[in-house]
Amino acid sequence: MNRPDSERGAVLAITAHVVLLLVVLGQIVYLASRHRVRLDLTSDQLSSTTGSTRTILDKLDKRLVIEAYFSPKDKLPVNLRETREVLDNFLDELTQIGKGKVVVQRFDPNEDKAISDRCTRIGVQPLDLRSQSSTSLSVDRHWQGLRFVYGGNKQKVLAQVAPQYWAAAEVQLTPAIKEVATESKRKIGYMEWPATAIGQQAPGGIGWNVLRTHDQIAKRFEFQNYKDDDGALLPADLETLFLYRPKDLTDRQKYVLDQFVLRGGTLVVFADAAEYAIGPNRQFTKLPLQLDAAGSGRHFADQLLSYGIDWKQKVLADMASEAQQPRDRLTMPFEYLAVPQMTPFGQQLTPVGYPYFFHAMALDWSSAADQLSRRDGKVDKELAESYRKQFGPGIPTDDFLFKVFKQIGRGPGFYWPTWVGLRERAGVADLPEGVTGRVLMRSSPAVLAEDPPAMLDPLGRGDARTQMANLQKFQQKLVERFGSEPRQQAPLMVDVRGTFASFFAGAERPRRPSEIKEEEARKAAEAKQAAEADAGAAAAADAPKPDEVGPPAPQETDSSIPKAAPEAEALAAAERPGRIVVIGDSDFIRDDLVRGDYRQAGGPWSALGPAFFAQLLDWLAEDRDLLELQSRVPVDRKLKFVATDSIAGGDPRLAEQTLRNKTAWLRWLNVLLPVGMLAVFGLLVLLVRRAQKQSFLASLPS
Amino acid sequence: MRESCVIFRRELKSYFFSPIAYVFGVLFLGVLLFGAAMGSLVDGTSASMQAFFGWLPVVLLGFVPALTMRSWAEERKMGTIELLMTFPVRVSSLVTGKFLAAVVYLGFVLVLTLGLPLTLGAYGRLDWPPVIGAYVASLLFAGSFVAVGMFFSSLTRDQIIAMLISLVVLAVLFAIGVPVLVALLVDWMPAWGVDLITGISPYKYFQSIARGALDTRDIVYFACFCGFFLYCNALVLHYRRHKG
Repeated sequence: MNRPDSERGAVLAITAHVVLLLVVLGQIVYLASRHRVRLDLTSDQLSSTTGSTRTILDKLDKRLVIEAYFSPKDKLPVNLRETREVLDNFLDELTQIGKGKVVVQRFDPNEDKAISDRCTRIGVQPLDLRSQSSTSLSVDRHWQGLRFVYGGNKQKVLAQVAPQYWAAAEVQLTPAIKEVATESKRKIGYMEWPATAIGQQAPGGIGWNVLRTHDQIAKRFEFQNYKDDDGALLPADLETLFLYRPKDLTDRQKYVLDQFVLRGGTLVVFADAAEYAIGPNRQFTKLPLQLDAAGSGRHFADQLLSYGIDWKQKVLADMASEAQQPRDRLTMPFEYLAVPQMTPFGQQLTPVGYPYFFHAMALDWSSAADQLSRRDGKVDKELAESYRKQFGPGIPTDDFLFKVFKQIGRGPGFYWPTWVGLRERAGVADLPEGVTGRVLMRSSPAVLAEDPPAMLDPLGRGDARTQMANLQKFQQKLVERFGSEPRQQAPLMVDVRGTFASFFAGAERPRRPSEIKEEEARKAAEAKQAAEADAGAAAAADAPKPDEVGPPAPQETDSSIPKAAPEAEALAAAERPGRIVVIGDSDFIRDDLVRGDYRQAGGPWSALGPAFFAQLLDWLAEDRDLLELQSRVPVDRKLKFVATDSIAGGDPRLAEQTLRNKTAWLRWLNVLLPVGMLAVFGLLVLLVRRAQKQSFLASLPS
Repeated sequence: MRESCVIFRRELKSYFFSPIAYVFGVLFLGVLLFGAAMGSLVDGTSASMQAFFGWLPVVLLGFVPALTMRSWAEERKMGTIELLMTFPVRVSSLVTGKFLAAVVYLGFVLVLTLGLPLTLGAYGRLDWPPVIGAYVASLLFAGSFVAVGMFFSSLTRDQIIAMLISLVVLAVLFAIGVPVLVALLVDWMPAWGVDLITGISPYKYFQSIARGALDTRDIVYFACFCGFFLYCNALVLHYRRHKG
């Protein structure tokens, strides 16, 4: 009777032990999952999410539902299966990082017609893959799309997603999350003066509409045109104003800009010293561009100078070949000029250097001082020292604005850029009191600056050979000039901030056109009244005077006179610290170059301009959420079993066979060698053991 | 500790002197490396051990129960357990020694697979740190399977039954960490229930480390998981020892 009781007691004790242990261990695991320390082992940090995703998910204050419209993985073709793996893992990671704020719901559209209909409705697109055999043709429909629903109402759809690796998944999904989770768009005002279009391609001129309305940008930023004919002051809630290719600026417009900056606004100027039209055969013709409107008494360049910005209205040409063409032509996008040439493979575009199109390099040019100061094979030490002081880095790649460009080692491509630097005195920055500034982009020290020439057409008309000859002549002239001019580095972008003094301080406030009209109308009305009064007085003197009864008759007013709304007092000094950023080019965001209209003909094409513009927006907004993500570039880890050189130029079938043989050999080697090693080792051990056993048995007395 | 070392040496010897361990080892390596080599060694694809570490848990699922089935069941069947229990050795040392020996044996077999990453490194730019991390994860994962296998081996004297029970339990533990299978649970289980169940699976934590991120949560999990089953194993043996 006692034994079963004690057994029961023991079992109970064991059960209690186990349950208690489970609870304790469960709590430990739970606590460990709440206070994690994570070490990314990948050398390029590609197997884990960047800080960008974490920051964006941390900022979520509503629930983010990610609807994954995935057809079953096992039915996917092999190449898509890997991408599914990546996506699944990444979605799991998002759920984990989201700490309950991210929910992933999976649906199989192939299983349910209602779900596939929903996919069609919301914009998730299927991937139809054909498989063909000798007797049949079938189409397999696969789905791999995502819908992000934030807070129950805002949504974003990725119609098809197929990331090859973790970082690619992050690059696609994280910006989508940011986009859908952005509560309010940041408002950016702009004033634009589009470039003249040749051949009526764009009525109203070529502006920068493509980037402004680009899906990724328009979802996060709201652009509003503030170019007002009446020159009204900008609203107080406007923080940033873009001035795209300013020209014909009236005094009133300059005053509006002045007051905007004094009230703490950020003014971004995309400046051009000249306007060059790109003709049908890529002829670059200068069109008239007057910065200041006729009748304007104050120059815009002087206005910028008063804020500490020196805009020399010169066109720049960089003679450094690496600034004109990427070093790695195979993988880098070519943004500038190419000339069609006949080759054994047919007509091909050959990139050529055109010094008026160039980019700033991620090089510290002061380190090239010795090389640049070499005269007759000897280094001019004095000159070298002055160059060392004078020259700086092309782009500061550690700066938030340029981190994206660090990997490629150069900034965005500029087209006929102009000189925008800090105001200087005796070679030293001379900024107004309370203002700080820095140059953010510089050319190489091999730059030529000149007043905008009437023609900058390097190719001219004619066939490819003529064009090439023209180009060589064009380049030769520049080379001759370069030899006779001193080395200098042109600043291409500046950022100044602080408490600016008004350019209009002590002067009368420029009036709005409506005010002028009103004034003129008032004067005309007064003159008319005076004339009428004179005529009336003369008549009254002749006629008998009636008794004056009742109130005086109301004065007649002219309703056609426009009434200008009263505006804020003019500020003579800054109310709040403002900021002015001037970029010495506007063409890198102009529509035809961003779209790549001339790409087929051999450029120019602003390939990196959109990336720089997007980064500029985040930089201005101090929005670093996506920075880490954008500045990450995966390392190429592709396997190469057979060197390209050994199979290039040979028989493709032979090359394929070589590759196949090598692959098979490597596979079998990797399978059979370890297996064989273990088998042989085991066999040896067993033989030794058997020998030991036999010798032991033999040693026993029979 | 010394007692554990003695048991560990004894067990390790038994692995290396047992033909069955070699047969299973050869099978394990053959299946694993064949699958992995076909998936990884493809010209033009990324130099990655993903195929290998994708295959590994599945192969371990079949291999570990076969390896651990004999750890206690055979002792009971041969009657050596009674002798073992009379030794002045603590039960925990017995369990730890056997556990470590099985893990080291598995580690030895895994070392034989290093030819694959070496080949990948020779023909592409293989990222080594995550591969090393994934090997560590594999050892932890294999350890968790060994702990489960040993526990079920201690419950029965029949090796086949021990293997089958281990296989079923490990398969369930594996399955509840596979996202596709977890998706099936979503329809009839609340989200917290699904989270709780998936949180038990060692596969989930293995994947996390194998992806290239060494996480304290995962390491703590494996330590707790192994600790739990080894403790249960020790409890069973204690119970038997007291029961006589």
